[in-house]
This record gives sequence, structure tokens and C-alpha cells, in this order.
Amino acid sequence: MSEVKIVNARGLACPQPVVLAKQAIETNEQVKVIVDDETALENVKRLGSKQGCDVQVEKKNDGTYEINLTRKAGTNEESVALCGEASAASGPFVLVISADTMGRGNDELGYVLIRAFLHTVCLQKEKPDVMIFYNTGVKLTVQGSEVLEDLKQLESEGVQLLVCGTCLNYFEIKDKLAAGTVSNMYDIVETMNRAGRLIVP
Amino acid sequence: MNEKPQYSVMLFKAVSYVLKAEKILKKEGLPHKLIPVPKHISSDCGICLRFEPAMQNKIEAALLNKVEIEDIRALKDQA
Repeated sequence: MSEVKIVNARGLACPQPVVLAKQAIETNEQVKVIVDDETALENVKRLGSKQGCDVQVEKKNDGTYEINLTRKAGTNEESVALCGEASAASGPFVLVISADTMGRGNDELGYVLIRAFLHTVCLQKEKPDVMIFYNTGVKLTVQGSEVLEDLKQLESEGVQLLVCGTCLNYFEIKDKLAAGTVSNMYDIVETMNRAGRLIVP
Repeated sequence: MNEKPQYSVMLFKAVSYVLKAEKILKKEGLPHKLIPVPKHISSDCGICLRFEPAMQNKIEAALLNKVEIEDIRALKDQA
């Protein structure tokens, strides 16, 4: 019970530290994750609180951080129910970004809203499992997009971003894709079909 | 925790002011991010500009006499 599982995530690229930490905390009461960059530090800390853990960080002299995750008694079930996989029985939480605007009517306003929306999605404890981008929505995923940082952050936290290939092709921006993976109508329909919850802002 | 950049937000009277300010800041290459007004400041569905405090003087100078700024507030944590 009191044994501490050590996860050495030094030098690993972005999703890896979180993935390893997540696997470890799911099967251990106490996990010590060692990382050497701040993005990983923040992501693992966020994972810890998302999983209902007590999170303690120690900065070491060699520039690494030791993040101690301890499961809080009694919060386990509740917190697990918050995250995506636990509700997998009813299917993934899917967010559909069907345009580079939010709502219909005024595009200038819609573009303000979609940026505010994605910023706020990043701050939510419960993140979508999958985000699907199509039509002008794909423009948000390419170089120069003003929401790229938000999308990359979501991706680093394990959110899968599916970007419609036909759409990238139509706008001739396939070579500029900077977040997510090129997807197709089969994956998009299949993901929508098995969604437990599907939100289109 | 300490490593996280602390941000400030700039509030405006109306969305149109935010858009005008954003255009100017983009043109001047001054880093900023358009975000919803944090809940602890106002529960209206407002929009504001977030920036790093080190940039405040430059941003204010760029907007001087062009866009009226309503308020500048420090952001605690997150957002």
C-alpha cells in the first residue's frame, strides 16, 4: 500500500510523461514522477488533481522536478468517474468544431467566441476525449492559428484531435497542419456514432 | 507553481473596443490573448485581453488615444 511507484519521465516528449503517470496512478496509491521540463510538470500536476490526488512538487538542484501524487482516500471513485475512460461504457465525450466561428450570424463575433470557447475548454477539469474539426474549423489547427497553443495543450493532455483531410485539402492547407492528425469521414462518423456525449458549439 | 507566468487582463467597455485593441496589438506585434473575462471579475459574458505584465507599458502606449481601457487587473492563477 505505502510503496511509492517511481516514474522516470526525464527527457520524454510531451504526452509521454502524462501517459506514464496516468498508468502508474491507476494502479498505485503513491507515485513519484520525475520530469525535467515545465510543460511536463504542469501537465502531470493537472493530471494529478484531475485524478483526485494530493500533488506535491519538489524542485531539485539538477533542474528536475519530483511530483508526488498521492491518492486521496474516498475521492478515488468520484474522480475516476470524472475522466473520459471511466465513462467509456457510454462512449467518448466528443467536441465537434464545425467552423472557425461559434454560432451563426456574425463571423467577426463568431471568431471571438470560438477563441474564448477553446480557451475555456482548456481550463475545464473534464476535457473531451476527441475533438473533430471540419469545414472552416480545420483552419484553427494549422500554422498561424491563434488557438494553436490551446489545441496543443489539449493534445498534450491526451485529447485526440481529428482533422478532416478533405477540408484541409479544399483550403489547400494540408501541409500547414500543426495540431492533431489528418482524419477522414469514416473515422469522423464512427467517432460520432459511438460518442457518449457530443457537443457542437 | 511559481514558474507559471502570471498574467494581467485588460478590460474594455464593449466587445468592439476589444476587437479594435486586438487589431492594434496584432499590428504592433505585442503578444496577448483574447479570453473570456474571468468569472471572479465579472459574470457577464465578456471578452478581455490577457497579457504578461512586462508588456503592460508597451500595450498601454500602443492603445493610448486609440482605445479606451476600462480597467487592468492581475489574474490569479489559471486563466
